[in-house]
Amino acid sequence: MPLVAVLLALVAVAFFALPLIGLLRQVPWRDLWDDLNEPAARDAIRLSVECSLWSTFFSLLFGVPLAYVLARARFPGRAFVRALVVLPMVLPPVVGGVALLYAFRRTDGLVGGLIYDVFHYQFTFSKWGVVLAETFVAMPFLVITAEAGFRSMDRRYEDAAASLGAGRWTVFRRVTVPMVAPALIAGAALAWARALGEFGATITFAGNIQGRTQTTPLAVYLLLEGNQDVAIALSLVLLAVSIVVLVSLRDHWFGGLRDAER
Amino acid sequence: MSRTIRCWLVTLVVAGLGLVGAGGTAHAAPPHEARAKSTTTTSPKVSGEITVAAAASLTDAFTKLKTDFEKANPGTTVTVNFGGSSALVNQIQGGAPVDVFASADGANMQKVVNGKQVTAEPTAFVTNLLAIVVKPGNPKGVKSLSDLAKLDVVSLCAPPQPCGTYADQILTQAGVSIPTDHITRGADVKSTLSAVTTGDADAAIVYVTDAKAAGSMATTVLIPAWQNAFAIYPIAPVAASGNSDLADAWISYTTSAAGQKTLQSFGFLPPPPVE
Repeated sequence: MPLVAVLLALVAVAFFALPLIGLLRQVPWRDLWDDLNEPAARDAIRLSVECSLWSTFFSLLFGVPLAYVLARARFPGRAFVRALVVLPMVLPPVVGGVALLYAFRRTDGLVGGLIYDVFHYQFTFSKWGVVLAETFVAMPFLVITAEAGFRSMDRRYEDAAASLGAGRWTVFRRVTVPMVAPALIAGAALAWARALGEFGATITFAGNIQGRTQTTPLAVYLLLEGNQDVAIALSLVLLAVSIVVLVSLRDHWFGGLRDAER
Repeated sequence: MSRTIRCWLVTLVVAGLGLVGAGGTAHAAPPHEARAKSTTTTSPKVSGEITVAAAASLTDAFTKLKTDFEKANPGTTVTVNFGGSSALVNQIQGGAPVDVFASADGANMQKVVNGKQVTAEPTAFVTNLLAIVVKPGNPKGVKSLSDLAKLDVVSLCAPPQPCGTYADQILTQAGVSIPTDHITRGADVKSTLSAVTTGDADAAIVYVTDAKAAGSMATTVLIPAWQNAFAIYPIAPVAASGNSDLADAWISYTTSAAGQKTLQSFGFLPPPPVE
C-alpha cells in the first residue's frame, strides 16, 4: 500500500468526519428536548414526517409500475424516458423548484392555472405542494433501485406461475413484487430519506410557511439566524434519521462489498 | 488525411491564442490611460482588493457603484457579497474575510459593534422605505396594510433579517395581524419579492427600492409615511480588514455626491441629516 494513498485517504476521512464533529460540538444537549418542543420545531418535524411519507407513498404508487415498464417493456424512446426520470437526481433542486413553479403555479403555470380553474386547488404554498416537490426529487431513487431489482430477478418463476394458469396481474402481485421486495424497500427508504432532506425545490416551489410548508430543512436554514439552538437541535434529528437509514440499508448496499472482502 | 486535420487544428489553436493575446492587450490599454488621469484628481491613492458584505436590498445599487468606483480608482477590485444582513453578521462573526459591512438596519450593525468586529463608528449612508408589492394590475385590490390580512399568502422576510423586522413592526403598529399559516418567510428581501414575481404569493412587504427593481413584474402599493418604517442603512469598516485604506475609500464613496446620485437613482433616500 503506497504511503501517499494512505495519507490522502486519511485526509478524505477527516474531511467527512470534521463537519460532523463540528455539528455535534454545537448541540445544546441540556436544552435539546425544550428546543425540539418549540412550536416552530414541532411544526417542522410533524410536517416533514407527514410530507416525506406521502411522497414515499406516491413514489411507490407511480414509481414501481414505471420501473417495471422500464425494465420489461421494449419501446422506442425508452432511453429518453429513463434519462427524463433520472434527471431530477442530478438537476440542482432549486432548478427543479423553478421548473415546477412554471408548470404548476396558479398564474401562468403550464397546467397550474387549469388545475385551479377545475379543482380550485393551488399546489404552491400548500402541503401538497411540498409533497409534489419532494416526490419530484425522491421518486428517481426508487425507480432506479426498483428497475435494477426487476432486471436482476430470475424470470423463470414468473414463467412457471404463468404456465400454472396465473393471470398477468396475479403473477405481478404474487411472484414479481415479492421477489423484488428487498429492492423496493431499499428504494423506498432512499426515496424517503431524500424527501425528508429536500430543501431547494421545496422552498422555491412551496414557500416557507410555518405549519404548512416549512419542513425541517427549511426551519434549520431560517432558524440558523433566529434561534440557532433550535436549528442545531433539528439538524441533529435529521442526522440521526440519516444514520438510521444508513444502518438499516447496510446489508442491501454493502452486502456486495462484504462479499468482495471475503 | 489525419495529418492535414491535425495541421489545421494546430493552426486554429495558434490563431485562437493569437486572438486572445491581441484581445487581452487591447483591453488592457484603457485602464492605463485612466490611471494616468485619475492620479491627478483623486486622493489619497488606493489600490488592491476589498470584499464588501452588503444587504440584499443593495444588490443593484452596489453592483453599479462597484463599476463606477473601480473606474474612478483604477487598480482596485471590489467584490460584493450580497445576503440578508443577519446572515452577513453570522459570516463576519464566523471570521469571513470581509472589509466593509453595509447593513439594512441598526440592529444587525449593533451585533458586530458589540462583538468588536467593527471598531470605527458606523455611518448612515442611505434611507429606505417599505412598500407592498402585489401581482401586476393588483387583481386582489389591495389598498392598504389591513387588506393583507384577507389574502391567501403574504410573503414577508424572516426576522432577524431587517426587512422582516421592519415588516413585523409596521404590521404590529397598524394593528394588522396576518395568520401565521398565511405568511411565507423569505431568507432575504430578494427571495421575499420573488414569491410574488415568480410564485403565487398575493403580496409581499419589501423595500421601495426592490419594488422599483421589480418593474412590470409587480405592482406597488405605497405605505403612507406615518405607517411606514424608515430603514436607515449603516456602513462600517470591518476591524479585521487587510486593506482599511480601500475600505475607507469605499465608505467615503457611498456618501460622496457621485455615490449618492447613483444610490438615489435606484430609489434610495439620503441619510437623515443628524451628523
